[in-house]
Amino acid sequence: MQPTSLDTGAAQGERTGPPAPVGPPPRRSSGRAWEWSLAALLLAPNLVLLVVFTYRPLVDNIRLSFTDWNISAPVANPVGVANYVEWFGRADTRTVLGNTLIFTVATVGISMALGLGLAMLLDQRLRGRNLVRSAVFAPFVISGAAIGVAFQFVFDPSFGLVRDLLARIGVESPDFYQRSGWALFMVTFTYIWKNLGYTFVIYLAALQGRRADLDEAAEIDGASPWAHFRRVLLPQLRPTTFFLSITVLLSSVQVFDIINVMTRGGPVGNGTTTLVYQVYQETFVNQRAGYGATVATVMFLLLLIVTIVQVRVMDRGQRA
Amino acid sequence: MNQLTRRGFLGLAGTAGAAGLTACAGTGSPGTGGGGSGSSNTIEFWSNHPGNSKTVEQQIITAFQKENPDLTVKLVDAGKNYEEVAQKFNAALAGGQQPDVIVVSDVTWFNFALNKQLTPLDELLASAGVDTGDYVDALYNDYTFDDGHFALPYSRSTPLFYYNKDLWQKAGLEDRGPKDWDEFKEWSEALKGAVGSDRFALELADGSNYLDWYFQNMAWGYGGAYSQEWTPTFSDPGTVKAGRFLQDLAKSGVVKFNATPEADFSAGLAACILQSTGSLGGISKDATFEVGTAFLPGTDNCPTGGAGVAVPASISDERKANAVKFAEFLTNAQNTVTFTQATGYMPVRKSAVELPEEVSYLEENPNAKTAIDQLPHTRSQDNARVLLPGGGARIGKALDQVAQGQDVAAVFAALDAESQQVFDNQIKSKL
Repeated sequence: MQPTSLDTGAAQGERTGPPAPVGPPPRRSSGRAWEWSLAALLLAPNLVLLVVFTYRPLVDNIRLSFTDWNISAPVANPVGVANYVEWFGRADTRTVLGNTLIFTVATVGISMALGLGLAMLLDQRLRGRNLVRSAVFAPFVISGAAIGVAFQFVFDPSFGLVRDLLARIGVESPDFYQRSGWALFMVTFTYIWKNLGYTFVIYLAALQGRRADLDEAAEIDGASPWAHFRRVLLPQLRPTTFFLSITVLLSSVQVFDIINVMTRGGPVGNGTTTLVYQVYQETFVNQRAGYGATVATVMFLLLLIVTIVQVRVMDRGQRA
Repeated sequence: MNQLTRRGFLGLAGTAGAAGLTACAGTGSPGTGGGGSGSSNTIEFWSNHPGNSKTVEQQIITAFQKENPDLTVKLVDAGKNYEEVAQKFNAALAGGQQPDVIVVSDVTWFNFALNKQLTPLDELLASAGVDTGDYVDALYNDYTFDDGHFALPYSRSTPLFYYNKDLWQKAGLEDRGPKDWDEFKEWSEALKGAVGSDRFALELADGSNYLDWYFQNMAWGYGGAYSQEWTPTFSDPGTVKAGRFLQDLAKSGVVKFNATPEADFSAGLAACILQSTGSLGGISKDATFEVGTAFLPGTDNCPTGGAGVAVPASISDERKANAVKFAEFLTNAQNTVTFTQATGYMPVRKSAVELPEEVSYLEENPNAKTAIDQLPHTRSQDNARVLLPGGGARIGKALDQVAQGQDVAAVFAALDAESQQVFDNQIKSKL
């Protein structure tokens, strides 16, 4: 074996300090620096955009929530926590929170359940399934405003499609635009119709990537369809379900276009007003941008809490 | 998908949640505007093209550029309605490039004027030698604040009483509108019989679609009002009486509230409606029966409405002068005739109705003449609706509650308190 330079130096007694780094370490150090530089270079454009267009407005919004800013005014005066005190004390807060909760739970739950059902159906070898898949996905790429306009006619109590269908079975159409409960049902149904394509396509992708050997094993073991679904399929779809529950929740809470086009938050003022619509109304209709920022901040915190809880629950489930 | 970790999800959630908040974060921060660096020879005109007027607006712009070859006008799509134009302008105030001329509605102009974001036009108009006396007084004076005028009337409208002449005949009624709401009540049974079951004698827009504008006529008709100057008067006996009258009409199945009453009316599902003069063109085109128009019930109880054109405060003096030149051209006698004949809005100049093309147009279109004849009987709207921030939406919500059977006195008392609070918090200190 050839002696290394260190061996040689020690043998000759020429070294008094720590041994000089030799061999691979210097290359690893410069290599790591290069990797860091490259990573920073590649990440920088996105990070800059994220900071400028997402986190800076976020911080600015929180700052504005402590002011009385009228959106047209050149100055905003600090008011401490007065906006927060007002929001928690106002009579309409409970209605708005209730609307948001009903709308979100219904859209998340129903669109995911229907999306999974459709994905399982269209994962089968059926004639024309590609056409049906496209048809199910299409509403997702249509603008919410356009869908809102179209569904205004569908639910019109005078000459809408729903009225016509109900009349065929002898049932009178409810007045979807004047009754708060029915109005909330109408916008919820419309959003589910639009969003179904998204949950469907994600579930379909997950189904197509599942392990075929587990299906075969279940079949050989004679598992019933329900046992197969519950014990084989659902566990494999758990990460997808988790992903969808978060993304659909976030998008549902932020729905604005359909509500604005179909009901403008009414009837009776708050019939379909959700948190995000309240932000719009306070900021642009009532001109109270400071108070609107407060509602936005509350919404952000609520979303953050819900998401953290979801992550915890999922984490516990995985460990179990 | 299987490799998504807890950290990954937290990151995702944080980012998405932040994106959500960003989406809600308004349009920017206060007061960094400064008017932008627009060219003084280019006039940027922000419009929502009221009454589908984009073509006719461009036509007027072409005529202006022909008369003023050194100036260019750029027509900007600033939204699909007045509120969206106001939102875009608010965004510009927070730092973007400002327009030279902007469409402001009866509801949106005041907040800008109050916060000193619009130029008072009086001196600029005087310098340009504009005879403001030719503007219809009621329309011009709608934009008065602090002894100044902050806009010129442009796409101005009033509500009209539209009725189905066939159903009127079937009900055995004279070919005219009701003298007042009590007379309409007397007619309502006959109209219900004529229009048939599942249909309505009267349809009105609901509280989310400007019922608060139309109901002003009813409130005035019964001696009430939304406010006297800045003092809310919803609890006054006259206003409460009008609220109860509206509620009785709803309870007895005479009236139906709807987002688009003009569609039902055109389809023959309602015997009459209250709608803007700006809807005249569409209704005349869509209806399969002979449409009649009349003054709103009552005497001198018709609110004005619609929009004007204004000039931002923080652009340069040179740009302001050019902007006023264009705003005056846009609303001169000839162009207000061109604009109103294309859209159904009302001429904003007194001399316009004497122009030969307008005289012959009105002879051929008697329904358009109703709106002009009603003009001297109009009245500026109450502050509680048009000058208090969120006034229209607030009153609309209360009227929805009334229509659905809630106690009128209690709803209006709450409205009084809420309106007073908005005035105290947002207006009082700035007057």
